[in-house]
Amino acid sequence: MNLASIALKNTRRNLFRTVLTVIGVGVAMLAFLLIRTVLTAWLVSAEYAAQDRLATRHKVTFIMTLPKRYVEDIRKLPGIQGATWMNWFGAKLPGHEDAFFGTFAVDPQSFLEVYDEIVVPAEHKTKWIENRRGALVGAQTARQFGWKVGDKVILEGTIFPGQWEFIVEGIYSASRKSIDQQSFYFHWNYMNDSLPASQQEQIGWIASKVPDAGQAATLAKKIDELFEPRDIQTLSMSERAMNTSFLGMISTLLDAMQIVSIVILIIMMLILGNTIAMGVRERTREYGVLRAIGFLPKHLSTFILVEAGVLGLLGGGLGLLAGFFLINYGVGRVMEETFTGLFPYFRVATQDMVISMVLSVALAVIASIVPAYNASKLHVTDALRKLG
Amino acid sequence: MIPIRYNIRSLAVRKTTTFATAAGIALVVFVLAASQMLSNGIRNTLGRAGEPDHAIVLRKGSDNEMSSNLETKTINLIYAAPGVKRDEGGQPLGVSELQLVIALEKPGTGGQVSNVSVRGTTDNVLKYRNHVKIVAGRAIQPGADEAMIGTRLRGQFAGLDLGQSFEIKKNLKLKVVGIFEAQGSAQESEVWTDLEIVRSAFGREGLVSSVSVALESAAKFDAFRVAMESDKQLGLQAYSETAYYEKQSEGTAGLVTFLGGAIVFFFSVGAIIGAMITMYAAVSHRKREVGTLRALGFSRLTILFSFLLEAILLSLLGGIIGAAASLSMGLVHFSMMNFNSWSEVSFSFDPAPDIIISAIVLGGFMGILGGLFPAIQASRTSPVEAMRE
Repeated sequence: MNLASIALKNTRRNLFRTVLTVIGVGVAMLAFLLIRTVLTAWLVSAEYAAQDRLATRHKVTFIMTLPKRYVEDIRKLPGIQGATWMNWFGAKLPGHEDAFFGTFAVDPQSFLEVYDEIVVPAEHKTKWIENRRGALVGAQTARQFGWKVGDKVILEGTIFPGQWEFIVEGIYSASRKSIDQQSFYFHWNYMNDSLPASQQEQIGWIASKVPDAGQAATLAKKIDELFEPRDIQTLSMSERAMNTSFLGMISTLLDAMQIVSIVILIIMMLILGNTIAMGVRERTREYGVLRAIGFLPKHLSTFILVEAGVLGLLGGGLGLLAGFFLINYGVGRVMEETFTGLFPYFRVATQDMVISMVLSVALAVIASIVPAYNASKLHVTDALRKLG
Repeated sequence: MIPIRYNIRSLAVRKTTTFATAAGIALVVFVLAASQMLSNGIRNTLGRAGEPDHAIVLRKGSDNEMSSNLETKTINLIYAAPGVKRDEGGQPLGVSELQLVIALEKPGTGGQVSNVSVRGTTDNVLKYRNHVKIVAGRAIQPGADEAMIGTRLRGQFAGLDLGQSFEIKKNLKLKVVGIFEAQGSAQESEVWTDLEIVRSAFGREGLVSSVSVALESAAKFDAFRVAMESDKQLGLQAYSETAYYEKQSEGTAGLVTFLGGAIVFFFSVGAIIGAMITMYAAVSHRKREVGTLRALGFSRLTILFSFLLEAILLSLLGGIIGAAASLSMGLVHFSMMNFNSWSEVSFSFDPAPDIIISAIVLGGFMGILGGLFPAIQASRTSPVEAMRE
């Protein structure tokens, strides 16, 4: 029988309390994992964004448009491998006003060239390009509303008023996570021709392809320099940089969640430390006996630290198990379906699993340092004299 | 009845355990109160901008000012509608405004930009919004390249402070000549300048985003709305300002309430388990005492009540500490993007009596949940067995 097995046996002394503690630690770890996953999911959305594609928008405000001729100017720049343009259309599905999916007016041919991670069956592709009222819909949105190829869809414009009629000509999926599977793309010409003359030939932003991530910053600067002398200046950056700057805007929210995740860990330590301290107090006499028969102070503190570590391990394991199934098979699927734009990928990351396990054991041991130290400092006579 | 002093002393004897349990509960109450205060602050900040007897008219189908476009000819139609209040000179009391967001650099972030809401407005704006007060400098002159900014923007962006200037278009700089307060509403995170300047800077000649008017009374709103929305050709939609701004706060306040609620749920489970562990230990530790009490003639119910009371005392202690700590959040400003306007708005944690009381009550409730089963166990103690131990 070694020291560790005594510590293990001790956890069974007050089985009910051990179970409660393990559940308490488990719940705390589950909450910790959930918050970490939200944060990771946000950061990951920026990590997946393309680094080799630039977005060029109005320099001062994203709600203003650019003249369409800017696309040709960008295409002529050496190093640019292709460019397309689009407008944020901002339409809603009547009867489902709360359902959010992006609606974009695009130039189909060049759009599919620049966004080459979009996967559409070849026949759908040609039909969509040919049909002026055709729409290309993300697989998730199509599933959500039960749309099939050939269906007629009517959307209500919020920026461009009126009822807009579309035919679903294709359903796309994505070969990389740099684009969501939830958007609704349709012909830019269809929109442009329906607008009053004063609003025509205006585009929201330009997406252009660059050979590799390393050249993104230089080419973005070249684009902005090109338009600097013109009436309307531009701001270009890679899609990755754009997402990162979006995260910057909600950084206080992210910080607040970081703080909350630390508070959870403190609560966990309070629960665990309390259990250990109570156990130590109840066993004071026993520690006196152990010391009297020759165990050293370091043996006593080892018992206590190992016991705390085991509780942390069990609790962390429980939380991890519960969190893994809850997130990956429950909450996460719902989040991905409902907030695709915000959380394209909501799953427990391996690194977060490792972090939560390591933290639950490490913090458990730390929480028991004070009781362990007190126990090791006990005088044999005092300990033995102690009542109950 | 067993004196409360007995419970208080029992808690005081086990200082460390009492403290750890109360601290756990205090954290839950703190987080609950703080998240409620923040969503209250968001509602106040975004909702306080409007007044019940004012109405705002947008293009039909637009959720917010930014996506709305009205042509100049409709402005006069709106001003002439029934129920619109007129000033001493017989002029309709209202403003027509163009709102958009511009990207400005945040100081100290190494060139990172964030969005600021800019409102081009007519020169009677301070008369129309009489809750807005200039606290430094002066109001803008019509047609001048000047701006006044809300007090919460001061120093938050490059060029946004009294006497400084910022660029809204190449070679067009606006000088900040005044700082205003707006009773803590979202307008304190806005830049106000002349309507014509914004129109020409962004090529929006002849357009506005919204027209807001004061009504003779809040009761006139329905008639005003019918007049606005009956002409389908115009495609207008009227809201009372209060309702409109409340709607603007829904998304962001809802997100904070949701996140806060989810966190509080997990925290409470943890803290209840903590209280349970403590109370079970207290009960088993004092088995002999309880046996003695029973032998002295205290009934089972009295003992159950006594232990439950002890648990409630313990959690109320935590609740009060947590609630008191949460009040300190009132000093903190929380600057975050408002999901409706895509611009940065500074929010505060607004305490309210009901938030504090409900947080403390939740603390006490956790004590009841955590203490009930241990108290039942204590009340079942058999005096003979207990005293034999």
